Amino acid sequence: MEQWLDFAKGPLFAFTFLFMILGLFRHVVLQIYYLGIRKGRRLRNAPWRKIILDTLTWAVPVKHFIPGTAFFSSASFLSHIGLILVPVFLVDHVVLWEGFLGLNLPSIGKGVADVLTLFTIACLIVLFCCRVFVGRQRAMSGPMDYLILIMVFLPFASGFLASHPKFNPFAWDTMMLTHFLSAEALFVLIPFTKLSHIVLFFFDRVSGLHWQLRPGAGDKVADALFGKEARV
Amino acid sequence: MDEVIEAVKPLVQRDNGKKTYPYYIENPVTENRVERFLEAFAAVLHFTDYKPLLDSYCTSNAKCNRCAVTCPVYLATGDPKDIPCYRTNLLLETYKRYFTFGGWANSRFSNGTDLTEEIIDEMLDLFYRCTACRRCTTECPMGVDHGLMTRLGRYILSLIGIVPKALQVATREQLEGETHNTSKIPKVALMDTLEFLSDEIEESFGVRMEAPVDKYDREYVFFCAVSDYLLEPDTLMGNAVVLYAAGDWDKWTIGTQDFDGINYGLFYSDWHLENIIKQLVHEVTRLRGKKILIGECGHASRSAHDFVPVFAGKESYPVFNFMEYTLDCIEKGKIKLNPNIITERVTYHDPCNISRSGWIVEQPRKIIRSFIKDFVEMEPHGVNNYCCGGGGGLVSVDEIYNFRMNIGGKQKADQIRETGAEIVISPCANCKKQLKELVEFYKLPCKVMGLHDLILKAIEIPGAKSAEERKEEAAMFEM
Repeated sequence: MEQWLDFAKGPLFAFTFLFMILGLFRHVVLQIYYLGIRKGRRLRNAPWRKIILDTLTWAVPVKHFIPGTAFFSSASFLSHIGLILVPVFLVDHVVLWEGFLGLNLPSIGKGVADVLTLFTIACLIVLFCCRVFVGRQRAMSGPMDYLILIMVFLPFASGFLASHPKFNPFAWDTMMLTHFLSAEALFVLIPFTKLSHIVLFFFDRVSGLHWQLRPGAGDKVADALFGKEARV
Repeated sequence: MDEVIEAVKPLVQRDNGKKTYPYYIENPVTENRVERFLEAFAAVLHFTDYKPLLDSYCTSNAKCNRCAVTCPVYLATGDPKDIPCYRTNLLLETYKRYFTFGGWANSRFSNGTDLTEEIIDEMLDLFYRCTACRRCTTECPMGVDHGLMTRLGRYILSLIGIVPKALQVATREQLEGETHNTSKIPKVALMDTLEFLSDEIEESFGVRMEAPVDKYDREYVFFCAVSDYLLEPDTLMGNAVVLYAAGDWDKWTIGTQDFDGINYGLFYSDWHLENIIKQLVHEVTRLRGKKILIGECGHASRSAHDFVPVFAGKESYPVFNFMEYTLDCIEKGKIKLNPNIITERVTYHDPCNISRSGWIVEQPRKIIRSFIKDFVEMEPHGVNNYCCGGGGGLVSVDEIYNFRMNIGGKQKADQIRETGAEIVISPCANCKKQLKELVEFYKLPCKVMGLHDLILKAIEIPGAKSAEERKEEAAMFEM
């Protein structure tokens, strides 16, 4: 088991983490290429002020807790606090980052991390229940929507149990292995699923830029499909 | 009740194998629609810039359904198919399946996401149930622009011949017809109308104002929704008297080769959008104008304001909505409005294209507060307003009247009723038509007017009859 653990927190972690970073980097590069290079000078006309304000507002979307979705929105927003802080700043993780990346990050106390973890787990359960019990959300949900919630839930739950033996009904190393493997599976999933909003969030919000249509493109589409005939 | 059921049921129906469409389509394509749709989609992706957007939306679309509670159509029907995300997903799933590696790989295991004739029917139905008001976009945490997706869906459908006949006929006349406008008004009729409006103003104000036509080197070239010449004379006279009172009568002109600000391309086609913009810019260049002044019309203002810089290149001109001009005149003290003329309770409807998708929210309110005492806001208003139900060109499609009244415009009718207003100001030709129909349909005790209709009543012009006198004369005439 020890060998498995070493493998999971060593080479497998390095591989999956790098995989995630490269996957996200690909999204960023493609978006910048398309927006920055292909649209080029047309971006000068874009509503930049609105785009930047929108992005900042959505980073703390308090004013968007609208009637009808307030419960879901609150759980969704609040879960992000733990989702960002615990994986990055938990003491054990800080050690890991230092070992792998040489980064010397500040850490949050164990107590704070515990509260954040439990809070995140509670929020994820609320989000899951919303999908199951709210008709309009169920209508739009597919297997992947549930799977992603479970995949995010697993590393948090297993990490909490592994660090609190008195609540843990399983062997410590089993729980740690579950923690590593589930986190690594999540790393792999991130670039391919909606979790990629980690980086795409900043690009989706710029839909204002996509209204800067390409001059002449309509003509080319029409020419390709109909030739030079009348096309009105 | 029957009308509600009629409006809610799926619009594409099969009756003994014969398909009926929700709106009139000129020569609807019946064969190989899937292949043709994919061919058109591929061409669009190849020549335009939609690909990165679709890539991004496909990956990060959260399907959280927040958009549902913002959509006036979904709120009226409660049908999951009217959730903006559901509609957008029709296009995204097709893109993913046929234009991404992941979708191709997935299709080796399942056929569930293949494009079918039924999905195309669903698209042609749902993309024209959306009013493209973009209210959902403001509440999407991922920033998915469902309005843009609706537009893209309509664009691809239009390339395989699926587009409401009302829109197609109008744009055809605008681009290829002799009159170059959507209402097919010939130059002679325009001149007659302008003559008539001048007579009306003279009768009311005691001052003759001859509209400047085809004058060169003027500062402003004026374009309004051409239907205003037929349906909204008060709005146009309001525009004219503001220009006259501000001392700018020799600074504007109307062109006779193109005087229509309408641009249905904004709702369904890049090609039409670009060519109508070019036609408009060409007219300004011909007249050697310096600025484009758009009358009271939401989508005309937005299409010119946003797309003249995109498509006109170096020929670009600054674009102003008439309300911006009027506010400027008020703030500079160039015109005076009598605050004792409009005594009714007034509310203001924000046209989506210039409020949420534009830049005009506070300007009309400043104008209104400067001369109207009893002004009440609808809730919500401004960028969060509800669409009138006729947005995205739907108002021109007469055959979906039941849908526009019972579903699209239901929220707006409730909003208007709650304000208790006697006058609803709507500075947009499309909204005005839809709201007038709504008021009649729901028997709301109010009338729908343009902002400049009220300015026409309240404006004071030195040397002309006063607003009080005109009000008395109008009252006597009504008796």
